[in-house]
Amino acid sequence: MLALQLLATGLVTGCALGVVAISFSLVYATTKIFHVAHAGIYTMGGYLAWSMVMYGVPFLIALLVAMVACTAAGALIQNQLYARLERRRATHLVVLIASLGALAVIQNIIAAVYTPNILQFPVNWSSRMMAFGPVRLNYTQVLTIVVSLLAYGATMLFAHRTILGKRIRAVASNPMLAGITRLQPQTVYVYVIAIASALVCLPGVLVPLDLGLQPYNGVTPLLTATIAMIAGGVGSITGAFVLSVGIAVVQNLSLLVMPGEWSIGVTFFIFVIFMLFRPTGLFAAR
Amino acid sequence: MRASFIGAVAFVAGLVLAGLPADAETIRFGGILPLTGPGALIGTAEMRGVQFAVDQANAKGGIRGNQIDVLFEDNQAKPDQSILSFNKLTDLQHVSVIFTGYSGPTLAMAPLATRKKVLLVNAGAQADGLAKASPYLINTLPTIGGEIEVISQWAVSAGKKKAGILFENGAAGMAGRDDYLKSFADAGGSIVAQEASQFGQTDFRPALLKIADAKPDIMLVVITAGLLQMAQEYKQLDLKFTVAGTTFFADPTVIADPAATGFVHTQLQIDAPPDLAAQFKAKYGADMEFFAKQYYNAAQIILITLDKVLADKKSVSGETMHDALFEIRKFQGLIPLEFKTNTASVPMDINVMKDGKDVLLKEVKLQ
Repeated sequence: MLALQLLATGLVTGCALGVVAISFSLVYATTKIFHVAHAGIYTMGGYLAWSMVMYGVPFLIALLVAMVACTAAGALIQNQLYARLERRRATHLVVLIASLGALAVIQNIIAAVYTPNILQFPVNWSSRMMAFGPVRLNYTQVLTIVVSLLAYGATMLFAHRTILGKRIRAVASNPMLAGITRLQPQTVYVYVIAIASALVCLPGVLVPLDLGLQPYNGVTPLLTATIAMIAGGVGSITGAFVLSVGIAVVQNLSLLVMPGEWSIGVTFFIFVIFMLFRPTGLFAAR
Repeated sequence: MRASFIGAVAFVAGLVLAGLPADAETIRFGGILPLTGPGALIGTAEMRGVQFAVDQANAKGGIRGNQIDVLFEDNQAKPDQSILSFNKLTDLQHVSVIFTGYSGPTLAMAPLATRKKVLLVNAGAQADGLAKASPYLINTLPTIGGEIEVISQWAVSAGKKKAGILFENGAAGMAGRDDYLKSFADAGGSIVAQEASQFGQTDFRPALLKIADAKPDIMLVVITAGLLQMAQEYKQLDLKFTVAGTTFFADPTVIADPAATGFVHTQLQIDAPPDLAAQFKAKYGADMEFFAKQYYNAAQIILITLDKVLADKKSVSGETMHDALFEIRKFQGLIPLEFKTNTASVPMDINVMKDGKDVLLKEVKLQ
């Protein structure tokens, strides 16, 4: 019973992390920017949705509006920050520092406006329980799994079946050639970060719906998602998603054999060993 | 004329530098408390308690004609932020007394308090290490060990002999865990599981599940933040064991939440007269909860001590305040306190949360 329940909660956490990972993977594989400010967009989405729900806006509408706002914020960061830096031939390190700065600004604005107190969504249905045999999950957890799987499927379809998706993959594959063939990499970068920001808003809202909002709670998921992206193979959407779920499940199931305070350290130690044997990641293109 | 003016300025400056309050001066104290972050609810209550006592004193003309001002700093319950605030208050504002809360921050500031001879006043934190952390740290409530002994004895006497421990991976949490390991065994029970959480963490499900798997009769909790989320997750997982803790359970939002029904905890006794509680509610729009009372009481102790220092015509410093406090030793505030050591001892209750209220289960007299 314990193993099943831990597996289920690991799946919930992993699915949410998976969406963070695929959105971050989209950005990194295409732009080569280590977009740390993505954690700020994740957090911002939750707070925007919370504000609207507090004013009586239905949850679904609040989620959609938050996604639109995150899309705009992501596009703004690319257009007004990263693109400007690239025009000035800034190094990757400078762009990373700029991204860190953007993250700090977003987090501090949120903390100043909302205070760093733990805030809870005033939504009654979110904590109602569903039983799947011996496993108990609340509505939010079930919703997180369903929405995350849909987001993963939609991203795969988008990347492989749409013209924009193919254009993004072409730019990711060879930006210089894409530029020569008028695929306009800079415009594609704006699209990519905008789409990734909309995607990351989903776990940004659903996770706090279950566990509460805090201004600085975006960094840990992003860090774990980054590791999943690398271990899954940079550029592989499936790799990022599957490894996110894998990390979260291993982390939860490790509680069966060790105390909780060791689980994070041991889980990542396993992945360090794994990377030594397969440094390109599990799903890397050969 | 000009020479006499410069002389007067120099004289006043000399008084200030010597720490001597001139007539009708404002005497500044400090407060380093979590006013935002996961500990903000408690920190805000603590701040209000201090401010309420000081405002009352100022409204009556101050202490021997001196108005009191408390400069509050927000440490978000973080030790590093507390050190910055401590240095700011002592080096720039020259405060001699600082109200503090939460074990980690207080333990971090204690060595500085010793070195700079600044009196730290703790009325909320309870890690055992606080008792001997600094001669300049006074605790107006007992350390957590005493409460844990009481709740452990109650649990075993109530037939709950197998316990799991959920503790916060920090100074207070680890001290509490160690106390539970000792006290519960001494009371005749056994610990069957222990799981850690991080300060500010809100996902307690894996830890709760693992503790539940050990089939305890009771879960002993030592966390200082996220208690409401823990209660809700406990309820969602439909866990059946009793949940018990110490005075840190006295969080109004937790008590009011149906998920916490049946939670048992020790509660240090302190009560406010109805008219005082009504004035507090009128001013802040909130009930005078445990931590507000504790810090009101602590502020009263400091104001009485200040009165003695001024009556003795001594300069106001951490050293003179410390010495005067131990000369007075016995205080009759919201609860009678005696400082035989740096840590006061007070009686306590065992309460159970029921229908959104904290109900008395048993009264315990301590030696």
